[in-house]
Amino acid sequence: MNAQLDTPGDISPKTHPRAGQALTGADVVVQVLADEGLDVLFGYSGGAILPVYDALFRHNLENPRADGSEPLPLIVPANEQGACFMAAGYARASGKVGAALVTSGPGATNAVTPVRDCTADSIPLVVISGQVPTAAIGTDAFQEAPISTIMGACAKHVFLVTDAGTLEATLRTAFHIARSGRPGPVVVDIPKDVQNTVVTFKGTGQLPVPGYRARLRAIEQTPLSDARCAEFFAALKASSRPLIYAGGGIITDGARDALRDFAHSFGFPVTTTLMGIGGFDTTDPLALHMLGMHGTAYANYAVDDCDFIFALGARFDDRVVGVPGKFAPRARTIAQIDIDPAEIGKVKQADWFHAGTLRTSLERLRAWGIAHGFQADYSAWHEHIAQLKSRHCLNYDRESPLIQPYAVIEAINRITKGHAIISTGVGQHQMWSAQYFDFREPRRWLTSGSMGTMGFGLPAAIGAQFARPDLVVIDIDGDASIRMNIGELETVTTYNLPVKVVVLNNVGDGMVRQWQKLFFKGRFSASDKSLHKKDFVKAAEADGFDWARRLDDPSAIESTIAQFLAFEGPAFLEVMIDPDAGVYPMVGPGACYAEMVTGDFIANRGAAPAAPSPTVASPTGMF
Amino acid sequence: MRHLISILLQNEAGALARVAGLFAARGYNIESLTVAATGDEEASRLSLVVYGDDAVVEQIVKQSRKLVDVITIEELTTRDHVERELVVVRFAASGLAWASNHARVLTSDGEHCVAEFSGHTDDVDEFLAQLASRATLDGVARSGLAALAS
Repeated sequence: MNAQLDTPGDISPKTHPRAGQALTGADVVVQVLADEGLDVLFGYSGGAILPVYDALFRHNLENPRADGSEPLPLIVPANEQGACFMAAGYARASGKVGAALVTSGPGATNAVTPVRDCTADSIPLVVISGQVPTAAIGTDAFQEAPISTIMGACAKHVFLVTDAGTLEATLRTAFHIARSGRPGPVVVDIPKDVQNTVVTFKGTGQLPVPGYRARLRAIEQTPLSDARCAEFFAALKASSRPLIYAGGGIITDGARDALRDFAHSFGFPVTTTLMGIGGFDTTDPLALHMLGMHGTAYANYAVDDCDFIFALGARFDDRVVGVPGKFAPRARTIAQIDIDPAEIGKVKQADWFHAGTLRTSLERLRAWGIAHGFQADYSAWHEHIAQLKSRHCLNYDRESPLIQPYAVIEAINRITKGHAIISTGVGQHQMWSAQYFDFREPRRWLTSGSMGTMGFGLPAAIGAQFARPDLVVIDIDGDASIRMNIGELETVTTYNLPVKVVVLNNVGDGMVRQWQKLFFKGRFSASDKSLHKKDFVKAAEADGFDWARRLDDPSAIESTIAQFLAFEGPAFLEVMIDPDAGVYPMVGPGACYAEMVTGDFIANRGAAPAAPSPTVASPTGMF
Repeated sequence: MRHLISILLQNEAGALARVAGLFAARGYNIESLTVAATGDEEASRLSLVVYGDDAVVEQIVKQSRKLVDVITIEELTTRDHVERELVVVRFAASGLAWASNHARVLTSDGEHCVAEFSGHTDDVDEFLAQLASRATLDGVARSGLAALAS
C-alpha cells in the first residue's frame, strides 16, 4: 500500500516522470489520483465521466503492480451514494483521503448525501464528478445538474473546472483542502470537454487559495503561550472535579496518545462524544464512555457533577448538550480547544480557549503542567466516578425469553475483544453499538454521527475493508437502515470481501418507534414493518453470501456468532431481537441530564420523572 | 441591529452564492449587497448589510471565514469606517430646480430628468424623500453600500 503524501506537491517537476508530457484532462485526473497515493477508487460510470474511466482503464493496464494487480482498482457499487460512503468508510478507517468518481446529473446528485455527511463529520473525501460540456452548461442538457451550486452548500469546497489549464493544480488543491485544517469533502466538477482537452502536465503546483492558506497557517503555527498555559492551570487549580469531554477531533488529529498521556498525567476522567469513540480506550479506568442523549448514565452524571469541563475537538452538539443553559451546571470553568475557530463559543461560552491543533496543544499543556509541578489530589472525585460507574452501569433484561440486542453486541465484543472495525446504520442499533462495544483504538468505529444517514453502515464497511484488509470489519445494521443501501450486499460478494453483516431485526424503525412510544402516545405512524415480506437471509443468499443465517434462539447466540465471525468470506447474520428493546439511558428532547430516563435496568439517581413528560414537540424543536 | 460586513473574495464560480447562502440559511435577508472588482483581478470586494441578532451574525461571519474563497472578512459596524451609497433617480421635470441644487443632474428632456446623488444611506433616504415631495419619481436605482475601514 502506498502511503499518501503528507504534503502534496512533494513530486517536483524534475522528478515527476511525466512532467512536460501532453496529456488529456482525463489522464491528468488519473495521474494526480495516483500521485496522491490512492490505492483504491470507488465509482459508477456514465456519459460525462467516460474519458476519465477510459484513462483509468489504460493506467491500470500500463502500470501493473509487481504482483500483476491493478494499481488503482475501481470498486463499482450499486449506486453513487454507495460509492461515496465506501470512500468515506475508507477515509474514516485509514485517516487518508477517500476518492470517488461519479458522472454528471443523477450520478453527482446521488453523491450529495455522503458529501454532506462527510462535511458534518469532518471526513476527508474528494469526489470527482463529470459535467456536461462547458458549452452545454445551463441549457438543461441530458444528465445536467447544477453541481457546483448544490455542492457549494454541502461540501467543504467545490471547484467547477472550466479551464483545462487549471485542472492539474485544482485537483491537487482539492486533496490539500480535503485533508488540511478541519477535514471535509471537496467536489471537483469537470466538464467532459475539459477531460478531453490536451494540456501539458507539470507534475507539481497548486492553486494559491490565499485566504484559506493564511488561516490554516495561523491555526497550525500558533502554539499555546506560557501565559495561556499558566491561565489554564490556574483555573484548574481551583477545581476539584475536572472532566474531559473529547470529540471526533481527537481521532482526526491523531491525538489519542496525547489525550491518554494528558488524562493520565493529571487524573482527568474522560467522556467522549459519539464521534470521539475510540479516541480514548473505553476500557481505561478513567474512561466514562459516551455522554449525551444516549450516553452512559455515569458519564452524564459526571458531567452534572464536574466543576471544570475541558472540551477537546468537540462542538457542544445538540445531541450532547440538549439545553445549553443546563449543560454541566456546576462547571465553573469551560475550557475548549478546537482547530475550527467557528466552533469556539458557538454554543457555550468558553472561559479558556485555544484555536489550534489538538495533539500539539495537549502535548504543550501537559509539558507545561509537569514542568511547573502542577499536582492535584482528585482521589475523592475518582472515588465518586468509580461509584457512579458501578451504581449506574449499563444493563438490560437478562432474563428475557426474547433475544436482547445488547446481548448480541456483548457476544460479538467478547469474541473480537474490541479488535474489530464496527460500522453502523442509524437508530437504536447504532446507539447500542456505541454503548456496548469496547473501543480501544481510533478509527475502529465508523458511524454517521452528525447527519445520521441511514444506509451508511454497509458501504462504509466495504470501504473500511479495503483500507484495513487485516482487520475484521463488522456492519452492525438495523432492518430499516440496511434496506436503504441493500444493493451493496452484492458489492460485498462481487469483490469477495470478508465483511460481516449483522442485521438486528426489530421489524421496523426502532428509534422512531421509541420516540412515538414516548412522545406520540404510541401512534406508530409509518414505522412498523411487520407486514413487509422481505426475507433477509434469502436476499443475502441471492447476492452470493455463502454464509447467511437467521438467529432467533437466545440459547444459540454465542455459538452462532462464533461461527459467523469465524467464517472466512462474506457472512450475513439476521438476528430477530426483542422489538420492544429500547435505548437507555435517554435524555429526552428539551430535558437536562438530571432528568435522564434510565429505564427499568439502569439505576437512576432519582431526579428523573416516572414517565417522560413531553407529549408534543420538544421545546428545542429538534427531532 | 444593523451589521455592515466587508469581504474580500476570490473571483471563483459560485463564491458569491456560498457567502449569500450562509445568510439565507439562517433566514436573514440581505439588505444590500455590492460586489465589484478591486485592483487585484483575482479578488472582488463585497460589502453586505444585514439586520439581525449580534451573536447570530457573529457566528455567520465565523462560518463565512471558513469558506475557501474568502480572503478576508470583517465586520465594519463596530470599527471606524466610511460608507457611501449612490442613487440614480428619474423624476418629473418639476423637481429639476431643486435637484440642480442638491444633486448632479445627468439628463433632462423637458419632461423627465435623471440625477445622481451619493452619500450615507440616511442621506440618500432623505434626498429621495425631499425629491419625491417636489416631483413624481419614475425610477430609482440604488447601488447598495460601498464601505472601507478608515
